Amino acid sequence: MATETVALMGNEGLKAIGAGLAVGLTGLASAIAERDIGSAAVGAMAENESLFGKGLILTVIPETIVIFGLVVALLIS
Amino acid sequence: MLDLKQMNRAVIVGHKNIFEDTVDALHKANLFQIEDYNEDDSGLRIGRPFENVDEVSKKLIKIRSIANMLGIKDAAAKKQDKKALLSSLDTTLEELDAELDVKAGQKSNLEAELKELDSLKKELLPFANIPIDLDYYSGYEHLSVFAGAIKEDVESSISKITSSYESFYDAKEGTLVLFVTAEKSGEVADLLAKSGFRESRIPSGSGVPSSLLSTCESKEADLVKKIASIDAEMDSLKDKYADFIMASNEVLSIEAQKSEAPLKIATSDSTFIIDGWVPANDFAELERVVKEATNGRAFVSMQEMTKADEKIVPIEYNNSNVTAPFQEILDLYARPVYKELDPTALLFISFPLFYGMILGDIGYALILLAMAVAIKKIVSSDAVKPLMNILICCQVSTLIFGLLYGEFLGFSLASLHTEHESVSGLIPGFETIELFASPVGDEMITFPVHRTHLVMTLIIATALIGFIHINIGYLLGFINENKKHGMSAAIFEKGSWFVIEIGLLLAILGYAALSSSAIAMVGVVVFVIGVIMLLKGEGIKGPVELPSLLSNSLSYTRIIAVGLSSIYIASTVNLIAFEMIWEPGTPIGATTIFAIIVFLGGHGLNTALSIMAPGLHALRLQYVEFFGKFYEGGGRKYDPFGYIKKYTEE
Repeated sequence: MATETVALMGNEGLKAIGAGLAVGLTGLASAIAERDIGSAAVGAMAENESLFGKGLILTVIPETIVIFGLVVALLIS
Repeated sequence: MLDLKQMNRAVIVGHKNIFEDTVDALHKANLFQIEDYNEDDSGLRIGRPFENVDEVSKKLIKIRSIANMLGIKDAAAKKQDKKALLSSLDTTLEELDAELDVKAGQKSNLEAELKELDSLKKELLPFANIPIDLDYYSGYEHLSVFAGAIKEDVESSISKITSSYESFYDAKEGTLVLFVTAEKSGEVADLLAKSGFRESRIPSGSGVPSSLLSTCESKEADLVKKIASIDAEMDSLKDKYADFIMASNEVLSIEAQKSEAPLKIATSDSTFIIDGWVPANDFAELERVVKEATNGRAFVSMQEMTKADEKIVPIEYNNSNVTAPFQEILDLYARPVYKELDPTALLFISFPLFYGMILGDIGYALILLAMAVAIKKIVSSDAVKPLMNILICCQVSTLIFGLLYGEFLGFSLASLHTEHESVSGLIPGFETIELFASPVGDEMITFPVHRTHLVMTLIIATALIGFIHINIGYLLGFINENKKHGMSAAIFEKGSWFVIEIGLLLAILGYAALSSSAIAMVGVVVFVIGVIMLLKGEGIKGPVELPSLLSNSLSYTRIIAVGLSSIYIASTVNLIAFEMIWEPGTPIGATTIFAIIVFLGGHGLNTALSIMAPGLHALRLQYVEFFGKFYEGGGRKYDPFGYIKKYTEE
């Protein structure tokens, strides 16, 4: 009869997975949000160059999501 | 320090016979921004341009087209005397124009000839290896001539049709020339059509194609030489006249501006009224200049600034040379409006501070500092200089934080011993000094500060810095609101935030200290009072903003987060280069070179990122978190009627 060894994942591994998920998923979320804002901002800038400042701000607003993800990852690990 | 330049609305009135003198004086003074006049039912009309406008604009068009043709670009040059230039302008311009006309005509003729030769050459090329004079291709009664391209020689098939033929085939070019009796031409044509024959045009002219071709080529070389010599002549013209053209462009542009100025000005049959803006400090100067130019016959008066005026008044900054470059950052967002604080001086502190805190690496600071200084020296453009000045400020701050963090291109300068590991530093014998235990995260605060080992402490610290920064924003908002809408609006809209914060602080202290729940209760009461004040000040959108107090403060944790990512990229590059590829101490070989390439490439990439990432994040903290608390913006740039002369002087 074949014996099966069950390897339990240690705490460290789970932490690493958690940290990875935190950064990865929030990164995706930021990217999805910035995609739409960014393209709209570039469109607006093509019409009126002085909108660069406002466009930049609007584009980087979702960046906060991934920063929070990164902070959470740092807290976990 | 935080105030914009005070502006005055001024009106200049006079008789039309001093109109030109007045405009002249205003233009020279370069102080007064003319407000465009829109015709209404007051009976005043928009003025007509001065008489010389046609002549000036004609000359201006001519000079600009010449500048364009010769490819003259803006460049620093010795200033020329305006009077001497004006006296010689007409004749020199005529001469130059005539000369250029001739040259351009010659050049285009030559180019047309060259084109013709080229097409003749293309026609001749297929016949190059067939030694028949072109005269012999036509003019027969009983012979048909086929000349064209074919894939293979069909002589054998033709010989089956008729024996009276003469054929020349050039296998290299795939050209067939066939002379055949006229009566068989139909059959031969059919045969050729089946073999994929395409007829070519026989070139005009007489002579053997190969010799014609070589004449063509020599003619072509000759033409190219001639064109080059004309180009060289044009270049020498460019060198000779570049200064003249730039200077006269400037003089004529100034004249054109002056001649067209009446289009912005209200006039009646015999008077003019110029309405506009002047910095308050310069009003006396403006008055003096105008009076002097018109012998006191023009009348300058200061107008009371109305509420409506405050919305359209042009804005001029009032900053010292040191902080002035940061106006660019403000302009990128929006110029302040008139009754608003100008935060440039604060940006001068906080932007480099955050940038330095994020990057904080001696190596990158030195590289970027050298780059910025070099670019500032080399590039003379006025647009680049302020940006480089900002970059230099940021790098000085980065250098200071780099010393504090003890980091050099991702290496740690000091050695660090913790319970689990012992990391040696770049400088032998430089040991990390433990200062005191951090209140959070079971960490030890050291010098130099090892950011990778103080994550928890630094997250809290940066959030606290953010909290302070945001509160400075609320304070500025309070001052702005007080200026614009009075004290009570300021207290309810911005002051309420301070009340809310105090309430929260008391509640948290009471709860955490567990000493007295009474303090916590007081805190809650203060908090509720604050929320009610905010509700009164801002309406429902006030309380909706409440969570932003937390999220905005947490947003400042990017200072440590982005900084760590930069460290990890740098130390990963170091790890790959100097541990995985080649380890110092092992024999030097091909891997050493490879390691150095990886090291340079990796840090080159990270240097580029080091401008982008900390720059953008520091900027965003200003624009979103800080400006959101007080800044409105949307002012109009002060752009006085005048011209900054680069090429001429009086």
